[in-house]
Amino acid sequence: MAQSDQFNGRLGLIFASIGAAIGTGNIWRFPRMVGANGGGTFLIPWLIFLFAWSIPLVIAEFAMGKRSRTGTIGTFRIFAGKKFAWMGLWTAWISTAIGFYYAIVAGWTIKYFQLGITGGLTGEGVDTTEVWNSFLQSPGQVIFFQFLVIVLTLAAIWKGAKAIEKVNVVLMISLFVLLFMSLFLSLWMDFEDGSLDGATFMFSVDFDLLFEPEIWINALSQSAWSCSAGMGMAITYAVYMRKDEDTVLNAFTMGLANNSISIIAGLAVLSSIFAVSSDPLATVTGGSSAITFLALPEVFAQAPGGAIGPFIMMSGFFLALSFAALTSMISTVELCVRNFVDHGYNRERSVAITGLALFIFGLPSAVIWIKLDSSGVAFPEFLEVQDHIWGYGLMFSGLFIAFSIWKYGFLRWKAQVAAGEAPPGLKGYLGVGVSAFRDDFINTGDNDIEVGRWWDILLYIAFPILFTVLMVSYFSDMIANTEDVWNPANPKGLGIILSFWGVIAVAFIFLNKYLIQRPIFRNIPEGADVDISTLPGGQDDKVHQLGDFVPGFEHLASEDAVFEAEAV
Amino acid sequence: MLANRKTPIVALKTRPSFGFLICLPLLLSLMTPMVASTIAQDEPAGLAPEDIWSDDYINDIFPWAPASDDILQFKQYHTYETMKTRMMRLAEENPDIFEYHEGMNGGTNARGEEVTADAYEGWYYGHLSPWMKITADVQGGDYNEFVGDNGNYPDRHDVMIVGNHHAREWMSYEVPMLQLEVIAFSYNNIGYDNDGDGLIDEDGWGDSNGDGILDDDGDCLAMASEHQDSNGDGVNCGPGDHGVDEDYSEQFITDLVNLREIYLIPMLNVDGNIYDREVFCPAPAWETCPSGGWRKNLRDNTYTGVTPLPDLNEEVDEDCDGVDLNRNYQFEWGAPLGATGPLIPGTCSPSEGELDGSNNDVYNGPVDDRDNDGDGQVNEDHVDGKDDDADGVTDEDWWGGNSEPETKFIQDMTEMNDDDGDGASEFKSTLTHHSYSELILWPWGHCTDCESPDHAQLEYHGQQMADMTLYANLQSSSLYPTSGDFCDWHYGVHGSYCYTSEIGTAFHQRPEDIDHIAVRNLGIGFYIAEIADNPRERADNGIANISKNQNLQLPGLVDIPPKGDIPIDMCISNDFAYSLDIDVSHIMYRTVKPNRAQSDFGPKEWSTTAWSMSPLRETSSTCNLLNGENGTVLRSNLPVPDTVSGQVHYKAMLGTLSGGDLYLYPPNGGYYVLEIDYRADYGGLFGALFMFLVVAGFVWGGLAICLRMMLVDENEKEFADAIAEGGG
Repeated sequence: MAQSDQFNGRLGLIFASIGAAIGTGNIWRFPRMVGANGGGTFLIPWLIFLFAWSIPLVIAEFAMGKRSRTGTIGTFRIFAGKKFAWMGLWTAWISTAIGFYYAIVAGWTIKYFQLGITGGLTGEGVDTTEVWNSFLQSPGQVIFFQFLVIVLTLAAIWKGAKAIEKVNVVLMISLFVLLFMSLFLSLWMDFEDGSLDGATFMFSVDFDLLFEPEIWINALSQSAWSCSAGMGMAITYAVYMRKDEDTVLNAFTMGLANNSISIIAGLAVLSSIFAVSSDPLATVTGGSSAITFLALPEVFAQAPGGAIGPFIMMSGFFLALSFAALTSMISTVELCVRNFVDHGYNRERSVAITGLALFIFGLPSAVIWIKLDSSGVAFPEFLEVQDHIWGYGLMFSGLFIAFSIWKYGFLRWKAQVAAGEAPPGLKGYLGVGVSAFRDDFINTGDNDIEVGRWWDILLYIAFPILFTVLMVSYFSDMIANTEDVWNPANPKGLGIILSFWGVIAVAFIFLNKYLIQRPIFRNIPEGADVDISTLPGGQDDKVHQLGDFVPGFEHLASEDAVFEAEAV
Repeated sequence: MLANRKTPIVALKTRPSFGFLICLPLLLSLMTPMVASTIAQDEPAGLAPEDIWSDDYINDIFPWAPASDDILQFKQYHTYETMKTRMMRLAEENPDIFEYHEGMNGGTNARGEEVTADAYEGWYYGHLSPWMKITADVQGGDYNEFVGDNGNYPDRHDVMIVGNHHAREWMSYEVPMLQLEVIAFSYNNIGYDNDGDGLIDEDGWGDSNGDGILDDDGDCLAMASEHQDSNGDGVNCGPGDHGVDEDYSEQFITDLVNLREIYLIPMLNVDGNIYDREVFCPAPAWETCPSGGWRKNLRDNTYTGVTPLPDLNEEVDEDCDGVDLNRNYQFEWGAPLGATGPLIPGTCSPSEGELDGSNNDVYNGPVDDRDNDGDGQVNEDHVDGKDDDADGVTDEDWWGGNSEPETKFIQDMTEMNDDDGDGASEFKSTLTHHSYSELILWPWGHCTDCESPDHAQLEYHGQQMADMTLYANLQSSSLYPTSGDFCDWHYGVHGSYCYTSEIGTAFHQRPEDIDHIAVRNLGIGFYIAEIADNPRERADNGIANISKNQNLQLPGLVDIPPKGDIPIDMCISNDFAYSLDIDVSHIMYRTVKPNRAQSDFGPKEWSTTAWSMSPLRETSSTCNLLNGENGTVLRSNLPVPDTVSGQVHYKAMLGTLSGGDLYLYPPNGGYYVLEIDYRADYGGLFGALFMFLVVAGFVWGGLAICLRMMLVDENEKEFADAIAEGGG
């Protein structure tokens, strides 16, 4: 029987999940959001949404993945039913599509690390805008670093879970160290005038601002995106969990670690900017890439300690940033690869194909529509459009997860009513149905923290409300402020987003019937409790366990089998 | 484990693709020069239009219609039908500012006559003149039963713009149609970049910055000389050329629509226009009637005489029929100046070479021998603004004029549109488009070597419009005397500042000239609306340079306090009768902040708040007017929050005690930009420390607890495993 692929230790899983959750969003987006949204005021909704949105979703993801023991497609096939396998495809696609351009962004960070090392950002007469523009406008360079990122990522995941684990442990620990170093230097810089303006601002609450819905919406979006909740990443890594892993504790650890890093990065970035800039709040409110690649190099160049300070600051910060980006890249690729492997494809081959796809489909974002904004700063408009389209598409992945949970609750209640075990009517539904997922898949006895009714409330009430608020605010804002918003040729419009979503969704729903004709193989560790008989996928005769004898896939049942993947 | 079983077959198959992968970046880097060259290069001098402007602008494509729609692109003339259809469509699409009408309801008019709606129908084809009521919230305000329009507001000044008195003068209805399109497109479409050069509202009508050059932003002048005369009129960078007055302010247009009621009647003489187009000048008119065409309406002079009855069976007698509408208004009607009366009342007897069409072209209509006031005397007090019979009533028994459906329509609209109920016309300024000769004309027309009491003021505004169009500015009678024209009546009877524009160089301009001629004349329709508040006061202020010398504090001179409201000063001339009513005098301001939710990879995005009004108050400080004289400071404290970091936009609008309400600083709908830093405190140390402890406690503390639980768990497991192994 084929062996299942697993993480070695619990900390390995944690490090991998944290690596996936912590990305550029924590390091460059969070400080900017804090700056633009009233400092400490922003932290209140941000903390609330960590517990109201991110952690509950991650708990659900871990629980689903741990039970299904497959990637996103298999998980939705098992949890939502055959007809909904396309939801898993959507989730996988969104993550991969984000990966297309994320590799380029990760490339930028490595480029800036290189510039930091070689001193290309310090010294007399260095115009950070010029450096940035000339880099972005030379496709050869951008593509080179994109390529480098993909190669590094592929190398890390080539060997499967244990390699991923090792790389993540090393990178994450280095990231902590580097960020702390940056934090120390920034606080030093900020304290040179005798006050910690950046830290003060970051932790000062303006209670009037708490009544502005915009602050809450921004905090929600920060929570929703920075933690990778709903992305399917936790589902994927849960596949490699040992049999008795505690999903709830893992989710809390991951969420809290994510926010811990955000705070450190926020303090480091804001302190250094407040130390140097004459109007720091104007500086931090630019776009993310602007603040990172234009403002921060200028700020870091003024770090204390002669040439050493700026050098450490610059190279350390950008190295930390590239590590954050790389570990997120790893989870993105693994998410895609896992789905291939589940369907019986050879791992190395899947990794290679995914890498190639990332590279090729990323190229347009690297080279086309590199424009200048009104202040003469280059920005990649195609990449930005991709970010808009798939960034918000990500929200639907979260919705699909919630849908699976709602569906399971409803079906369980119906089944139990039929069996005479549960009362019919609303009372029975609230008593048995709503808590079914939690009872059956979360509180399995492996966890130290028992999840209570609060989780049901969040998933059944808070989630749909927050999802609607996010979507409505985003769309209404766009409709109100965009010219020609419905024209699909307008890169800033809604038309282009809806058409991309529409085409992908229709194609995937159409592909669904072919998808479910293929057998799928679950990666089950020995002795694990992975009963899926109560789930829609329990009746799916094409859901197998790795090692099962499946006609046409006999080779998978044999240890020495050579498997030739069909052409994709 | 599967992943470990790498077979030679698989390895062989994957290797080439990796080789390919490695080569790709190299191949792609060869493309570098191609992609990098997309950055535009500026040439030092003598630009070509493509260097600055959008393709649409260069090709005279207006943004409100597809390029292929010749009529809406002003590459083909409207007909009566297409014009009417378009007006109805615009009213349907812009119900907040446009109300479409044909004719009026009628009722008892200002002279006590009972008038029915059909009194305004053309004699021959029976159409009513289509017109548009234009004002903000046009469905609100009062309803005028006689006129039939909504949107009558006592505090909004009214202006009337009339085209096509004379049937063959086709540009005279195309220009108001362009104005209509521009209003529809520009209203609340603030900051539209007409010429696509990335700048906004940089070149309004006329010489708005006062340097004597019409091309305020200098973009036309920056062109190589072969591109400087795009309309081919022989004047480089003159009005109507590309780049001249091309990016007017949509804010200004919006202000006008908000503060004025515009009565736009593009085609008064529908009868005549249809006849000219369909019968008199077979298409193409610019070839069949190079220098002529049908001028008058279609009154049937031959058949009916003095009190005509419509006779639809009779063909138009081109030698005799019709009345020159612009000789049929009642002020000094009948004087044989540039007009002809019937030789024998009630007859029309043209003979070869004597009373042929050309002479008859200025027929002023039949004599009215009724006893209009019912006092037993006939025609004893002719309309001339004087009480000829000394009975205490002026102009109550007239000779004639106002005999035509079209002129009755104008007269009744003027006299019945009385928003404030004071019995006087609301139209303080009026404009009628004619063609051709490239002139701006103003009263008097009925007398030579005479000057009206407002001569200097009329001349002043005329000059402003002449500057916009590069037309000649003349008193009407200096061209040739006329009696009974639109402007003499409006000015003479109602005191309205009335202007006649003589557009272009032909009655039937060639179609390729419609767009640029219309563009050249677009500004005057807005100017006449602007001055409708109090044209005399405006002229006086203009002549004395009062309005020009007053100034709003420039951003560089604003003293931004470290906390609190930002004071903005307006320097006012001591001769300016300003009002402090906030409705007419105030500073408008708004803030522009970086968007709170910026896109991660995109350009910096800004969010702009709506304009707010801040009152002006008097101070005792003095200030310098632009001519160096002393003025008085009016100050406004803008309540801009300390937390704003970004920009404050501000502009002033002033009104006068005598009804002026649209003195704009800076002129033409612009605004000043003040850069502003974050001024609020960053927060208190203790509050921050407390918050830090809360957040750190939650996040770091929570993390510590989780990790601890995990490690304990792990140790227990190992312990259990060890026992299990030991036991086994």
